[in-house]
Amino acid sequence: MRRRSGSRRLRHARWQAVLAVVALATAVALPVVLISVGGGVSAHELAALQNAGYQIVVSAPGLHGVAEAHNLTEQLLALPSVAAVSPVLSIAIDAFPPGKGAVPVLAEGVIPGEFGPTLGPAESGLFPLPLPLGDPSDRTHFDNGTYDGPATDDVLVSSPLAQAEGVGVGSLLPLAPTANASAAIAYRVTGTFGVPPTVLGPVGAFAILLPLSNLQVMTGFAHGAGVPVPDAADTIEVAVVPAATSQPSVLERVRAEIQSIVPFYGVSDLSQEAQQLQSASAVLTGFYLALSSVGLTVGLVFLTLVLVRRVERERRSIGIRRAIGQPGRSIATEIVGEGAALAAGGAILGIAVGYVVVEALAAWATSTVQEAAQLAEFVPLTLIELCAGVVALSLLAGAWASRAALRLDLAEALR
Amino acid sequence: MNDSSAPTLELSGVERTYAAGEPDEVRALRGIDLTIAPGEFVSLEGPSGCGKTTLLNLIGLLDTPSAGTLRWDGRAVGDRTDRERSRLRLEGVGFIFQRFYLLPSLTARENVELPMRALGVSRDERQRRARALLDEVGLAGRERAYPHHLSGGEEQRVAVARALANRPGLLLADEPTGELDRANTEAILALLEQVRRERSATLLLVTHNPAVARHASRHLGLEDGSLVSDRRDA
Repeated sequence: MRRRSGSRRLRHARWQAVLAVVALATAVALPVVLISVGGGVSAHELAALQNAGYQIVVSAPGLHGVAEAHNLTEQLLALPSVAAVSPVLSIAIDAFPPGKGAVPVLAEGVIPGEFGPTLGPAESGLFPLPLPLGDPSDRTHFDNGTYDGPATDDVLVSSPLAQAEGVGVGSLLPLAPTANASAAIAYRVTGTFGVPPTVLGPVGAFAILLPLSNLQVMTGFAHGAGVPVPDAADTIEVAVVPAATSQPSVLERVRAEIQSIVPFYGVSDLSQEAQQLQSASAVLTGFYLALSSVGLTVGLVFLTLVLVRRVERERRSIGIRRAIGQPGRSIATEIVGEGAALAAGGAILGIAVGYVVVEALAAWATSTVQEAAQLAEFVPLTLIELCAGVVALSLLAGAWASRAALRLDLAEALR
Repeated sequence: MNDSSAPTLELSGVERTYAAGEPDEVRALRGIDLTIAPGEFVSLEGPSGCGKTTLLNLIGLLDTPSAGTLRWDGRAVGDRTDRERSRLRLEGVGFIFQRFYLLPSLTARENVELPMRALGVSRDERQRRARALLDEVGLAGRERAYPHHLSGGEEQRVAVARALANRPGLLLADEPTGELDRANTEAILALLEQVRRERSATLLLVTHNPAVARHASRHLGLEDGSLVSDRRDA
């Protein structure tokens, strides 16, 4: 009878310990997922900013909101310390590969001669430079805003698109703003470009590059009879001369000069954006931790209860050990140590669970979540700090429980 | 590890009151004056609830008097810190309880090692000593048995071995044979008497059984918290 009730108590105690570990693991897994994914996405964005070949970006509110892109480019190119200015217009259109139906592609309209110098080191290796598109300045077809000049109708296609649709250099590729083949204009493929091994997937990697004026005309974002939309672009990327890239004062001066030309547009320095991104990332990490602290608090309260319960359950054992002279401090150390061990176990398990969750999201989640999860970064220092924080907080739980052990009335405990 | 010499115990005007000043106040001990010399075998007799265990706990430093003074070798224990009292208990006192109070999760040998562990004795030394003590109390070969695999008599033998682990000068036994049959009672009493004699230790044994008390050479009688008799055998 005594043995049975003893083993039941032991099983009960083990279950409590297991539940405490699971509670803490759950509480730790949440910040692991949030911080690793959030941090990974931020780091990816930051790397993209830092590795860009341009330093200043002009943008406007609304889609395709930068007007007079060709003329503005000329103006900005005339500024001191400016090396290249590349307007970019991005629009989803349809391609009609020979013998196939409409294939959605992402079209980017650029000024061919300006695009190359604004590419970062990672991107520039993906493109044939100079871009094999006729009319490097895109002024011939643009013809001072009349779009009456001869169009080259050249296009570069991404390697995945070329491979999937069986087009190559010399092929004709009809393009149209909608899935209406009769409205398509045949473009000559003059080259291919690689896409970084991103997580965009094959559809996202179906991209084409063509002269800005051609895309504007095709999609209605050029000047035209009765069309007020003027020479549109999404952004204008500005690269300064190499000597100025590491001089914040020069960058700021150029930025201010551009701002004075386009007072109603946003003009931002990428280094400032990087700082803002880092600040935002730090704020988000803090927010994730604050959010997770709720779960962590519940886990630690549970741990405290388990330890206090243990002290109550082992009241007599503690009484016996203290009666034979074991110092209270040594018993308190054992309790605190047990709490720390459970917390460390929970934290390690939580990190493992968080890792598995992120891996599962990266493998099986829907596209956006999957994309973010694939960028997740598990920074060892952050994980160690998280683990240490949980263990440090568990010391409070242990201290609370050991207080009960130290206050034990020995005579009463042995009665 | 040195043998702890048996202390001279002096109690003067010792009282112990629970819930003092409250309606359910209990005066467990009243004005106890007593001196116990080193090496004595003293029985503390009296009916249930008369304060025997309370007095034993006070002498064993598990509790503190509400009034009066308890001296160990002339030094009042009330002056000592909790840590000092723990140390004194660890080195100088061996407790034997009526219900044995072995730790169920530890083997017989580990139970005996417990006081030595608390004292910081090396692992090899405490294993060697624990085996020797279990051998001495007649439990050779049972060192790996857990308490629930031992009989009552065997459990109490382990408890005796544990009480002797740090070679204390004072053995305090609270109804040590209260849960044992007659044969085991005689065996445990003989064992206690033997170790007391061999180690020149003081043995204070609480009992309400006159047959058990007969083994002692000095007999204290307690009633309603007061010492009512103090008789020595001729």
